[in-house]
Amino acid sequence: MCGIAGIVSSSDISKRLLQSITSLEYRGYDSCGMATNSNGSIEVRKNVGTVESVNLKEQFLEMSGCVGIAHTRWATHGDVTQKNAHPHTDSKNQLALVHNGIISNYNELRENLIENGIKFYSDTDSEVIGHLISFLMEKEELDLESSFVKVLSKIEGSFALAVISVNVPETILCAKQGSPLSIGLGEGTNFIGSDFNAFLPFTQSSIILDDGEYALVNERECVVKTTKTCKTIKKKVTEIPWEATMSDRGAFSHYMLKEIYDQPSTIKAALEIPRKELSDFANFINSSSECFIAGVGTTFYIASLGQYFFNEYSDSFMPAISTDEFVHLVKPRPESSLIVISQSGETFDTLNAVEYAKKNSVKTGGIVNVIGSTLVRSVDKCIMQGAGPEVSVISTKAALSQSVILLLIALELSLLRKKINEKKVKEIRTQVLAVTDLVSETLDERSGFFHSFAQKHLKMRNWIFVGRGIYYPIALECALKMKEVTYLHAEGMSAGFLKHGTISLIDENVNTVALIPPKEQEDLYNLTLNSIQEIRARGGFVLGIRFSDEGFPKDLLSDEIILPSVSIFQAPFLHLLSGQLLSYYMAVGLKRNVDRPRSLAKSVTVA
Amino acid sequence: MKALILSAFGGENLFPFTSSRPKAMLPIANTNFLESTLIKIKDTGIKDVVIVIGKFGEQIVDHFGTGERIGLTIQYVRQDKPTGIRDAILMTKSFFDDEYFMLVYPDSCSSGNIFTNVLDIFSSSGKPVAAITHTNRAEDFGTVFLNTDLSIKKVVEKPSKKEIANYVLSGAFILPKSFFEILSEMEMDESLNSLVSSSGLLSAIWEQGWLDPQWPWELLNANKMLMDNWNVANVDTSVQLRGSIQFRGPVVIERNVIIENGTSISGPCFIGKDSYVGNGVLIRPYTSIGPNSVIGFGVELKNCILMGNSRVGRLSFIGDSVVGEKTEFGSGTMTLNQAQEKSVRVLMPSRIEDTGLDKLGALIGDSCKIGASNTFAPGTILPAESTVPPFITFPKGSN
Repeated sequence: MCGIAGIVSSSDISKRLLQSITSLEYRGYDSCGMATNSNGSIEVRKNVGTVESVNLKEQFLEMSGCVGIAHTRWATHGDVTQKNAHPHTDSKNQLALVHNGIISNYNELRENLIENGIKFYSDTDSEVIGHLISFLMEKEELDLESSFVKVLSKIEGSFALAVISVNVPETILCAKQGSPLSIGLGEGTNFIGSDFNAFLPFTQSSIILDDGEYALVNERECVVKTTKTCKTIKKKVTEIPWEATMSDRGAFSHYMLKEIYDQPSTIKAALEIPRKELSDFANFINSSSECFIAGVGTTFYIASLGQYFFNEYSDSFMPAISTDEFVHLVKPRPESSLIVISQSGETFDTLNAVEYAKKNSVKTGGIVNVIGSTLVRSVDKCIMQGAGPEVSVISTKAALSQSVILLLIALELSLLRKKINEKKVKEIRTQVLAVTDLVSETLDERSGFFHSFAQKHLKMRNWIFVGRGIYYPIALECALKMKEVTYLHAEGMSAGFLKHGTISLIDENVNTVALIPPKEQEDLYNLTLNSIQEIRARGGFVLGIRFSDEGFPKDLLSDEIILPSVSIFQAPFLHLLSGQLLSYYMAVGLKRNVDRPRSLAKSVTVA
Repeated sequence: MKALILSAFGGENLFPFTSSRPKAMLPIANTNFLESTLIKIKDTGIKDVVIVIGKFGEQIVDHFGTGERIGLTIQYVRQDKPTGIRDAILMTKSFFDDEYFMLVYPDSCSSGNIFTNVLDIFSSSGKPVAAITHTNRAEDFGTVFLNTDLSIKKVVEKPSKKEIANYVLSGAFILPKSFFEILSEMEMDESLNSLVSSSGLLSAIWEQGWLDPQWPWELLNANKMLMDNWNVANVDTSVQLRGSIQFRGPVVIERNVIIENGTSISGPCFIGKDSYVGNGVLIRPYTSIGPNSVIGFGVELKNCILMGNSRVGRLSFIGDSVVGEKTEFGSGTMTLNQAQEKSVRVLMPSRIEDTGLDKLGALIGDSCKIGASNTFAPGTILPAESTVPPFITFPKGSN
């Protein structure tokens, strides 16, 4: 997982290019670099660290030139060092390249080049590409484009790559196979980027490159050709509906908080998905004999939450499976279907599961946020979340939107199967719309309770989140949020499961957070209170997150946070929000790198 | 841009320490609230400051003068009677010509520079900005309701609901000059709301520590908040270390301090200039000893503020306590600091206040004379200039 960007313009590009890689930093942030083509020579500056810190050391803005490429890295091959950072050059410094992905046959290519006297400077798989292009240009007397195409046929694995060269100084050559790459079309300036964020401040017109295609981009035009035949093809121009400001953090101290505050509009966007699209999707599920619902990480827990919606409203058991295990667990039959959930649409494990399903003639559906992503183009049927760009590595608004969409699909399926009538569907949709106000109210009037609680418990290193019924997958998701952003030990489980083993952990070194259902869900409510009693009886600390219900037993909880009173259709979403807020304020209190937690990247595009 | 700092009145609840000084001049760590505020303002690049002074205002003028020492140009405006923030602001109208000014309440403290944050948001938006933060007691402050883009929807000065935890105004604003006109017609909170509906008011969320002490024991939290930002030790070259002395952590010691053999000092802690620390003294984290103090043999100090010119007699223990200036403890004084019940309660002049703290020592005003061998119960308050005779066990009744 890395981010690549490039700009070809009639004026100096360093400032815009710096802005591009800054916007892509969530894709990888262990090192970064820039290369420009200026006055017949290639200049490269790169180093280890975040874009901001590398810029302080390397002063990117001093670089001149109207053509340039840049890279922000998340290491897969080779340590995090200056020499392993991109861009890489060939031995003669005639060209520079940036690469996202993995070249699986790089060792073989590398040894071959070494035998031919080529010296390598880094431990990366990427460096081989540049040397190979130059080597073929010289040995076979090819021009840059022919050599580039020949190299594309020689390298195996996944890649999105961009090359600049002194031989064709006004052009960026780029290509993709397996990793995403888009081209942004401006006036007198064209852009390339791993995703739209790279050029969203400059243009909203984009061409999405497909596998087996390469492009020659100069300031006036962008020519896309097929790698196989080198024939020019006509590509559709996509207008990106996001406003550039939507990617901007604005007055928020972290993207995570901004995206938590975005949630009322995200819920509205989910409700604006045409009913026809939802009912088509429900039909798609209905026409298969069995349907699996899958995601990985947060989206797996959202899938598990969806499981409860489908069971509750449409009486169908749809097993939730983590996509990384899908191929090991499921032997699908042709009449079955698979629904996958992914924010980025580039998640390796999820794409892999889809590919496996398709090989077995299983129909596939997706719920995806990023337009034009690989997943959108791979599945048979797709619902776009419309949640807007999610920049923080920690998924908040995308996850909430996915859970709303799953509920809406479950309602359509229920309608289709005549379990409920249109009036009921409308009623529940109205209640979901009201969640927007409940979220705003909680953020305004109650976020301080999460802040104060977090401040008091910053030293607690072990957390258990419990819930029952539909609140069980939410407990899992809350624990995952806590883990990924605070680096503390947190586990989620069903409150009923706790006493079958894990309860032996309960002592003064563990805090339990109980997600208490509204009183209206009497069975779940009572079961949850019983579990809390069991923990308290062992001297455990329990924070209860509950709704404003009357008659809640006094002294049952060690501490409590009270949310506004809600209906059973609204409660799960507010508990999701609770987990986000608690994790956020803990992370801020512990001075964690909230938007870019250690070892994590926004979308995991490697195995 | 100029900054307006309101330092005239307030802090009545900080008895007994505000009976002889403005809240803004209360010592914490190696500074006081106002000095720490001024330094942060200077760090933002602002050069001109107007301070409204009131009760004990001459102490502020004496301490900061023209502002040259800090690198600011300071002008003072005197507010004679406690007629409120609104009046204080309106008095200064003629000092402000620029399109925008910064308004600051200086008696809170923050870890990090809250003013830079406010200015950053102002310069990227060009709109009025208010700093907001979370606190444990939202009901005591001006609370704000937010739109999803973090612009302020409304400001509510005295929220009617008790159980709320909104973001609150945290005493730093960038306001247009036209605010003076708005304010001349209505109250402060109404004026802010009027700004919300006319030009809009953005918020700048402050996620790092922030504290506006409302009670005397909260000075210890402010002291800790500032010291937690220290990461290096700084011992003046003129300090005399007489023998084997153990240092650990960020210890800050000013000029001409003398420390005798066998003393152990764990930072973060502060020892002000011209102080004397005797043999075998144990100074534990978050201790702030003001200038010209004398700490006797075998004393233990922990999480406490001694405001200066203090004398602590041998074999005493002062922990989780705040002590005013020129107060003297006879030998063997003990401050008990562990709550007998759930939390320590303090008898304030008007009512009993539950501190919610399981550890709190004594709160002792300026110029007190405490005789030897006395023991203070947790949460004891002693007004300034109190005299406590020595506790003599034999012959009984003798003093």
